[in-house]
Amino acid sequence: MRSSRTLGLIMIAPAAIMIVLFFLMPVVLTAVFSFTNMTTATGISGGAYQIAPNSLIALKDEMPEVVQQLTEPRYAIDEEGIKGVEGLALEPGIARELREKHLGEVFSSRREAERMIKDLTDRPSTRDVKQISEQFNRSVANLRFSSKEDLFASLDKFGFKMTPEEKEGLASATYTGWSWTTENFSRIASSPDMAQILFNTLLYVALVLVLFNTCYAMLLAIWTHYMPNVQATIFRSVWLLPRITPVVIYVLMWKWLAWDTGFISTFMGKFGYAPKNYLLDNAYNAWLFVVLINGFIGASMGMLVFSSALKAIPKSQFFASEVDGASRWQQIRYIILPQMRWPILFVTCYQTLSLLASFNEILLSTRGGPGKATEVWSLAAYHTALNNYAGNLEYGLGAAMALVLVIIGIILSLAYLRVFNYATLVARPLIED
Amino acid sequence: MTILPTLKCMTVAAAILASTTALSFAKELTVTVWAGGTGPNDVYRLDAIEIAAEQLQREAAIKGEELKIKVEKKAYSGWEDFKQAMTLAAEAKTAPNIVVTGHEDIGPWAQSGLVVPIEDYVDLDSWPLNNIYENLMDIASFSGTVYGIPQDAESRPMFFWKPHMKAIGYNDADLDALPQKVQDGSYTMKNLLEDAKKMQDKGLVQPGYGFYPRYTNGPDFWQFYTSFGGTMEQDGKLVFDKAAMQRAYQFFADAVKDGVTKKNHIGMPADQWWKEVASGKAGIWHGGTWHYARYVNQEGLKDFFGNVIFTLIPAGEGGKANTLTHPLVYLLTSGHDKDDTEIAAQLIKIASEPRINVLHAVKSAHLGISKSETEIELYSSDRWTREATERLLPYANAMPNNADFGTYWNIMWKGLEASWTGAKSVDAAVNDVEGELKGTLGDKIIIR
Repeated sequence: MRSSRTLGLIMIAPAAIMIVLFFLMPVVLTAVFSFTNMTTATGISGGAYQIAPNSLIALKDEMPEVVQQLTEPRYAIDEEGIKGVEGLALEPGIARELREKHLGEVFSSRREAERMIKDLTDRPSTRDVKQISEQFNRSVANLRFSSKEDLFASLDKFGFKMTPEEKEGLASATYTGWSWTTENFSRIASSPDMAQILFNTLLYVALVLVLFNTCYAMLLAIWTHYMPNVQATIFRSVWLLPRITPVVIYVLMWKWLAWDTGFISTFMGKFGYAPKNYLLDNAYNAWLFVVLINGFIGASMGMLVFSSALKAIPKSQFFASEVDGASRWQQIRYIILPQMRWPILFVTCYQTLSLLASFNEILLSTRGGPGKATEVWSLAAYHTALNNYAGNLEYGLGAAMALVLVIIGIILSLAYLRVFNYATLVARPLIED
Repeated sequence: MTILPTLKCMTVAAAILASTTALSFAKELTVTVWAGGTGPNDVYRLDAIEIAAEQLQREAAIKGEELKIKVEKKAYSGWEDFKQAMTLAAEAKTAPNIVVTGHEDIGPWAQSGLVVPIEDYVDLDSWPLNNIYENLMDIASFSGTVYGIPQDAESRPMFFWKPHMKAIGYNDADLDALPQKVQDGSYTMKNLLEDAKKMQDKGLVQPGYGFYPRYTNGPDFWQFYTSFGGTMEQDGKLVFDKAAMQRAYQFFADAVKDGVTKKNHIGMPADQWWKEVASGKAGIWHGGTWHYARYVNQEGLKDFFGNVIFTLIPAGEGGKANTLTHPLVYLLTSGHDKDDTEIAAQLIKIASEPRINVLHAVKSAHLGISKSETEIELYSSDRWTREATERLLPYANAMPNNADFGTYWNIMWKGLEASWTGAKSVDAAVNDVEGELKGTLGDKIIIR
């Protein structure tokens, strides 16, 4: 028994690793990221301490003199620096000339110090100039320190007299990395835009799910059920086309249809209507197209599931009902629908979850517009975390939005499991054990 | 007899030694360069680095060093993919050596350490870097440190379709005087909307085509904020001028209300927009100096100067005529070997030489980065680059290199989109923008 258990664990190990890596880890990381203020500007792997003028703006009122001193680069030609230059193993004349002609000089910027170095008789290369000037740097301005200790050590080394509190204040003002926060969630909770996006998401899921993924799919399945086999197969194949066409091309075809110069405009032009971009003309149109585009793709899955479920209904039931004089509607009402309860629930459950997370068709067709009319939650999370014109992607806020979606998904999954009565489905068979 | 083998041995040893000495000078490396927003007219953003590599190899050979540089180029036609790819690659320490990107990326990328200051590697006092326009070098800096070298300059003018302007009553002399009138502030945003309306009323253009703005988010829209008196940054702090933003939003809302701009204009297909502005289907529109190359090369507008007149963005209430320059910059990314980064820096320096940079400027209809470049015949004999440089560049603002500007920008665009499409009233949009800025940026932005 023990060995078979071990074997079982070994057999399941690859799947378990996959689940942890590709299913669990993304969710865990999303949850971790969502409690940070992480952006491109803060970096993902951690920050540094950089005394840049911009980062000290907040401290200007508290300790103006210190801030002034800190931001001023200072290059002092002193004995310590010259000894450093000697250690660089450059032409000996360089250190000699610095000592003889420039000892005691102070430059207020690196550029000025380097100009002096470039004027030395043994003119060093640009690389050497940079190395030499570094020996004389007596300020922390614009330096990056990987830890607080390094920063404090440098402050001490350059003789800045600061209290421990001032140092801590300086460290927090100049830290470039991310920190833990719950602000993302309060931003989500308080923003009126988020409420609008949530409403959009519910509307989108409900419309596509009810109109196409279940009702229309069922209609297609029933139609094809009553068709001769060959026609039914052709009909089903046609309805699979939106699903198998690459989504970029499929959406582009819709866009061509709806452009100012597209098919609808040209056709309507024949009746005297001015051409317009039907897709983006107003929020209603955009919604209509978003629902149609997604609906035509999504209907095929329901159609296939329902069709195969219909095939499983014993034909004798249909024959018997026909003998009894039942109409088509009565067959649907009393034979088909009652026996399709589980497929319908399955399609509803599966499609709700996939609609909640899907946004690529909306991104490609309306980009969430016009305005933010068709911006759904997953698209908004994508826009926040991975799209910013000025190169500053808001990973933290985006992750928080994604986490909200994950939580909604989990709650819905649990609810569906309950409706499906999962415990009964996976109950041990009574004849064994 | 023993001499010969000894000699042989010594010769072989010497040869081996000599070869290792030669090897110690030999350096082979691959420099990767990625460029965002780069179409067929902008190939020299990448090719310039290749030309520079050829030059640097020759310079090394003269110094007795063997240097072999392979340049790997990657052009991204859009910005979204590029910025995602670059930031994520840099976090994973697989960033290219050089990136060509908008200067506004310097703020966030420098703060997070994704890019390193170029001034640590090159001599800014030497040619050609000391010849680059001072204001462009400032734009390539963050917090007083030079992080990048400007790769190009441009500006974003207002374009007018001449035949339509003539049809609503302008004669040639009026049109020639228009750029100056815009600059003086005697032709304003109000006049622009009036002219756009006249074009539509006369049936010269279809409804919604009188004023045909940019169809996507972009730096252009900050020009309108400036035009109505707005300031983007002051003493290192971002500024949200509520009244100016409201006037800018109102301008677009009015354009839609008057019917000269389409409510659904944003998000229209790019190809359609380009075709329409280059063929007189639109009356007045704004775009970039580089648009000239596409109009003439890809869109078939052969007689540009006969059909189009360009000016600064006119003044609105409370502001002045302006334009915006949005230079792309060469940046060095972190996480590479210091020696390789130094060679990459040298390549950028050489690529910034006037004769090489002018290839990009003229081919792509961008503007030059240095005074010497404007003196090169290829540049000075090109009417577009010459006129655009003289008439626009002196009045160009730039967006601030502030790590939080992207957040501000996103919120600003959201408000503009909402008031443009009528999803919110202008007042509500501005108030929401204010609320979101307060909630998001706190005291990092001055609201007035």
